[in-house]
Amino acid sequence: MEERLEPDEMIVHLGPQHPMQPGPFRLNLRLKGETVVDADIELGFIHKGIEKILENKTYLQGITIVDRICYLVALVNEECFVGCTEKLLGIEPPERSQYIRVILDELTRIQSHLLGMGEFGEFIGFVSMFMYTVREREEVLSLIDMITGARITHSYLKFGGVRDDLPDGFKEKAISVLNKLKKSVDDFEEMFHTDRIYRERTVGVGVLTADVAKNLGVSGPALRATGVPFDIRKNEPYLVYKDLDFKVCTETAGDCFARVQVRLNEIRESIYILEQCFDQIPSGPLFPEGSLYGRRTPVMRVPAGEVFYRVEDPRGEMGMYMISDGSDKPYRVKIRGPYYPTLQALPPLIIGTTVADVAAISGSMDGCTSEADR
Amino acid sequence: MDVTEILKLLTGTFPEAISEAAAESEIRARAYVGREKVKEVCQYLKDSLQFDHLCSVCGVDYIKRNEFEVVYHIASYNHPVVLTLKARLPRESPEIESVVSVYWNANWYERETYELFGILFKNHPNLKPLVLPEDMLGEWPLRKDYEGFPNKTARNLV
Repeated sequence: MEERLEPDEMIVHLGPQHPMQPGPFRLNLRLKGETVVDADIELGFIHKGIEKILENKTYLQGITIVDRICYLVALVNEECFVGCTEKLLGIEPPERSQYIRVILDELTRIQSHLLGMGEFGEFIGFVSMFMYTVREREEVLSLIDMITGARITHSYLKFGGVRDDLPDGFKEKAISVLNKLKKSVDDFEEMFHTDRIYRERTVGVGVLTADVAKNLGVSGPALRATGVPFDIRKNEPYLVYKDLDFKVCTETAGDCFARVQVRLNEIRESIYILEQCFDQIPSGPLFPEGSLYGRRTPVMRVPAGEVFYRVEDPRGEMGMYMISDGSDKPYRVKIRGPYYPTLQALPPLIIGTTVADVAAISGSMDGCTSEADR
Repeated sequence: MDVTEILKLLTGTFPEAISEAAAESEIRARAYVGREKVKEVCQYLKDSLQFDHLCSVCGVDYIKRNEFEVVYHIASYNHPVVLTLKARLPRESPEIESVVSVYWNANWYERETYELFGILFKNHPNLKPLVLPEDMLGEWPLRKDYEGFPNKTARNLV
């Protein structure tokens, strides 16, 4: 940022810790009056070096590490890491395991979007919204807890399958929770559409157009809110997504309101996917028949090769590039998280807006700094 | 557009710069690119072949071959093909042209690759550390011969 300031300019540092921010990063704003004329992001306050750690751990140990990239979406990160390894091994999980993974991915998406919306409400001063969404999120977390036995970091996926089968009574419990959630989602929508203060804080604020968003490399709900139907689940189907019926939620306005609306509609689509999964899930083994892989594969050599595998994270496109040299540890893993380009796109988006809108725009991107700072 | 057509167009347009181009599956392709030509190739991919989405840029240290690779994963918002474009760099002088002027979001990826591997991106608008503290510049932590803080891997670029 330019050091020399005009007489009527000032620099405001938001962060590294600030109630407005979803994690420790510093946002330096150069203000002229209340207008932002320049912005600059500093990262790295919680850099964990996960890519280097993965090079020194066996594949099985790696699963516990990728959980920690972003704990909100631990199961999606696992899906990406395990999926890469399975591609290198040349195995495919049986259909029942794939359905269980889809169930977990969609439950993860629901709870992540609920928290994202709640935090967004908190950033613009709508604190009761945080209470509402977190209450619903706890129920969804309990469903995940029933399957994996953990609420945050799961280590549940294994190479070629999943660790345990669905527990007894899961379907009934899940259906009752999801029916309640459907009602709450309708309530949230009504709240957004009728609350005048909420509308004035979000409609027309932080507008991204489709061309700009593509150029900035944005993906996920922030991109779909501009009208681009780009979703890895449709564009490059993995697991059993090609057998499931769902639509890609888009909006056209590209502002904060549209981004939250996309997340809200995606919760509805996820509930619809889950209902189909409960009807369609076949019985059968959790691991490929006659395979060497199973619940315990502490030392496992993976054939040399390389693969780039991507999945749809609640925040966008999550990809991993894994290189194996034939040993029991990955040679190199590059994690391409979805929030990294979205965070990078923040300064161009907030230049020209007022300082009060910075919180709304930053919040509507639904950030996870932990993932940008792998 | 499918993989074979893309690879045919790419190798046909840059016969001297593109080598070892091959399709891995229906939605994956890979190719090596000469390090002087990387910006022109990216510009062509973006303008003519609809590769308008840069997924990531990363470095890989092949210490036994005494070289680095810079790997670009380039995808599209319109078709499902992902191209893995790689450039080989000698370990003594790891320098490559920056592609920020083509793909805006290459900026942070290249900064990160620079501070973790010590690969210089020429004509980058702001090549300084992003995720690590400034006093770790010169550690190059993702190189395979890195021994841990505070042992410097190489000081030749700082």
